[in-house]
Formats: sequence, structure tokens, C-alpha cells
Amino acid sequence: MVFAPSLIASAALSAETPSFLNDFLPWLTNSILVNVLVVGIIVWIVRSCTRRIEVIPGSGQNFLEAIVEGFYGAVEGILGDKMTRKSFGLLGSLFIFILISNWFGLLPGVGSIGWSEVVHGQKEFIPLLRPTTADLNMTLALAAVSMTLWFIWTMQEAGPIAFLKELFGVKGGMKGPILFLLVPLFFFVGLLEVLSIAVRPVSLSLRLYGNIFAGENLLGTMINIGNLFNAPQWLTAVLSCIVPIPFYFMELLVGFLQAMVFTLLIIVYLQLSTSHEEH
Amino acid sequence: MLTQIFEQFGVTWPKFIAQLVLFIIVYFVLNRFAFGPLLKVLEERRKRIEEGQLNAEKIKKQLAEAELRYQEVLRKANDDAQILLEESRKNNEAFSQREMEKAVKESAAIVERARHEITSERNRMVDEVKREMVSLVVKTTAKVAGKVLSPEDQKRLSEEAAKDLAS
Repeated sequence: MVFAPSLIASAALSAETPSFLNDFLPWLTNSILVNVLVVGIIVWIVRSCTRRIEVIPGSGQNFLEAIVEGFYGAVEGILGDKMTRKSFGLLGSLFIFILISNWFGLLPGVGSIGWSEVVHGQKEFIPLLRPTTADLNMTLALAAVSMTLWFIWTMQEAGPIAFLKELFGVKGGMKGPILFLLVPLFFFVGLLEVLSIAVRPVSLSLRLYGNIFAGENLLGTMINIGNLFNAPQWLTAVLSCIVPIPFYFMELLVGFLQAMVFTLLIIVYLQLSTSHEEH
Repeated sequence: MLTQIFEQFGVTWPKFIAQLVLFIIVYFVLNRFAFGPLLKVLEERRKRIEEGQLNAEKIKKQLAEAELRYQEVLRKANDDAQILLEESRKNNEAFSQREMEKAVKESAAIVERARHEITSERNRMVDEVKREMVSLVVKTTAKVAGKVLSPEDQKRLSEEAAKDLAS
């Protein structure tokens, strides 16, 4: 038996549009289709849980309340009362949306049911559904919304002068001639800070995209592991059922962690730019 | 270079905007129909619990005050009852004393009166007996002497007899 020492990525880097839609709906990719489904699921859950909101809650309202209350308490502990009231809508939406999107990608059929099309002379597999967070358009959109609101809230809360002072100002309460020596240094540090802020949307979006896309490929590879090693048909079938199981659990954890990491980073960015404490 | 990277990852404006709009819908729906009303209810519930706790504290305080007042009233009633009992006992004793003294006085008066009556009765009887004896002595003497005694004799005999009886 000859072992092929390379793992074949089962998904393309970008989301695909079915060829029959290319002419009139070129933007309707398989990841946007999943996004529509995710939005539908979220709207359905929210409406069914909060149809009749009462002080003494029903089971659905109770479930949603437990999530909201727990998450609100955690955010409030970092951002404080005022900023949490302002930003909780975004932070809660980010967490719930990313979590459901990530876990939706683990459903059987997502990424594995599709059809073959000839692209650039090569036969390619086009999945019907692709996890929406495994599309850079989606993760960039999330980062763009988050960073825009971060900027607006920072300007509202701290103001442009305090924001610039925080970026370029000399820290540590220095006075006297040493202050003049430190000004250029802290100006340079401020430039680096501006660069790091500019890179934030890219890092946020690539981190989420990379993790979910890699997870998709990992699961695809594990499902096809028998084929990769040219195993007999029956063994391939058995392996495709057994081998991915631990990876599914890992991907459940990764899906949760990535939702948490994305949201926590936005919380930290907000905390850094809106807290009035002296550093 | 950035354009090339975006092209490689399939990033285009229409796709980006479609994803952006879908996320904004999620943001709007969750904010409007989930977080807003739920946080309002949670706040309302927190206020109610706070009010309930405050009321419970107030009721507990009132209960303690009522208990104190009750104890105070009870203590005062006890004191008043003790005073009344003491007074009535004193009154009762004085009354009994007075009645006793009255009874003793009355009984002493009755005894004195009885003694006085007995004495006067005895004296009367003694006088009567004396008179009878004197009369008997005079009559007996007249019979023994066989003569009729003169008034002087009778008087002398009577006096002598009375004198003898008295001694």
C-alpha cells in the first residue's frame, strides 16, 4: 500500500456561486445561503422565545434570559455599566451569530452535499452549503461593523482629543526635560498603536475565517481519510464514520472559543479606549 | 497586493455588502426583539426583588416595633394590675381591721350591757329577797311574841334584819 503523505484540502478558499446563478445573482454564494438560514434560525428562536415577555418567564424566555443575563454580567464586569448598556446589543449579537454560524457548519451535509462543476478546465466540487464564517466576506463584515461602532463609541465616550492623547501622549506622569526626550519616542509608539488599530479588522476577520475554514478542511480530510490512503471501500466507509467523531467535538469547542475570542477582543478594544483610568 | 489577496479569498463588494446586511439584520432583530425587552424585564425584576427586599425589611422593622410596643403595653398592664392588686389588698386589710375592731367593740358593749343587766337583776332580786326576809322576820316575830307589833317595833326589827342580812 502506498501512503500519500499529503492532506488534500477539501474546500476552496472562497465561497462559491453556482454557475446557473452567475449571470443574474453572482453574489449569492453558498455561504450567503447559509447566512440566510442562520438569520432565519436566529429570528425564529428569538421570536418564539420572546413572543410574550413576562416578568415570570416561560421556558423559552427563561432559556434566553439565562444566556443574556450571564453574558451581560460578564461584559459588565469588564466594561462597566454605561458602556455595557451601549454596546451589549453588538456584543451579544456577535457572540450568538458567530456561535450559531460556527456550529451550523458542523451539521451533516454542510460542506459535503453539492455537485461537481468544471471550473477553468478542472472538475471541482461545489458544496451547496458552506459555513458562513468560513467566508472572508462574512468575517470582514463582522469586523467592519465592530470596528466602526468601536470608533463611534470611543469618540462619544472619550472624545477625539483624549483619544489622540491616549495614543501619542507621554505616559507615566513624566515632567521636566526628560519629557522632551520622551515625546518623539511616544509619538513613534503612537504610530505603532495606530498601525495595530488599523490591522485589527484584518486580524479579527482572518483569525475567525482561518479557524473555521481549517476546521472544515480538517473534518473533510478526516471523512475522506480512507480514500487518501487508498483503503478498501468498506474500510473507507467505516473510517469516515469513526475518525471524524473526536474532531467534531474539537470543532464544537473551536466554534465556541472563536465566538468568545472575537467578542472578547471587541470588549477589550472598547475597554482600552473608553476607560478613564490612568495607565 | 491587497486586491490580489481579496480576489484569492473571493472578497467582492456585492458579497461583502450582502453579508454585512445580513449581520445588520441579526443585530437589529436581536437588539429590538431579544436584548432590549429581556434586559428591560430583567431590570424590572431586579427592581421588584429590591422593592420586595426593602418591603420585607420594613415589615420586619415594623414587626419588631409592634413586638416592642406589645411588650411595653403588656408590662404596663402588668404593673397596673400589680398596683390595683396591692391597693385592693391594702383596702381589704383596712376594711377587715375596721370590721374586726367594730365587732370587738360591739361584742365588748354587748358583754358590758349583759353584765350590767345581770348585776342590776341580781341587785333587784337581792333587794326583793331582803324585803321578803324582813317581812318574814317581822311576821315570824309577831307570831312568836303573840302580840301585835307597833310600827316602831316593826321598823326596828326591819332595820335589824336588814342589817343582819347585809352582813
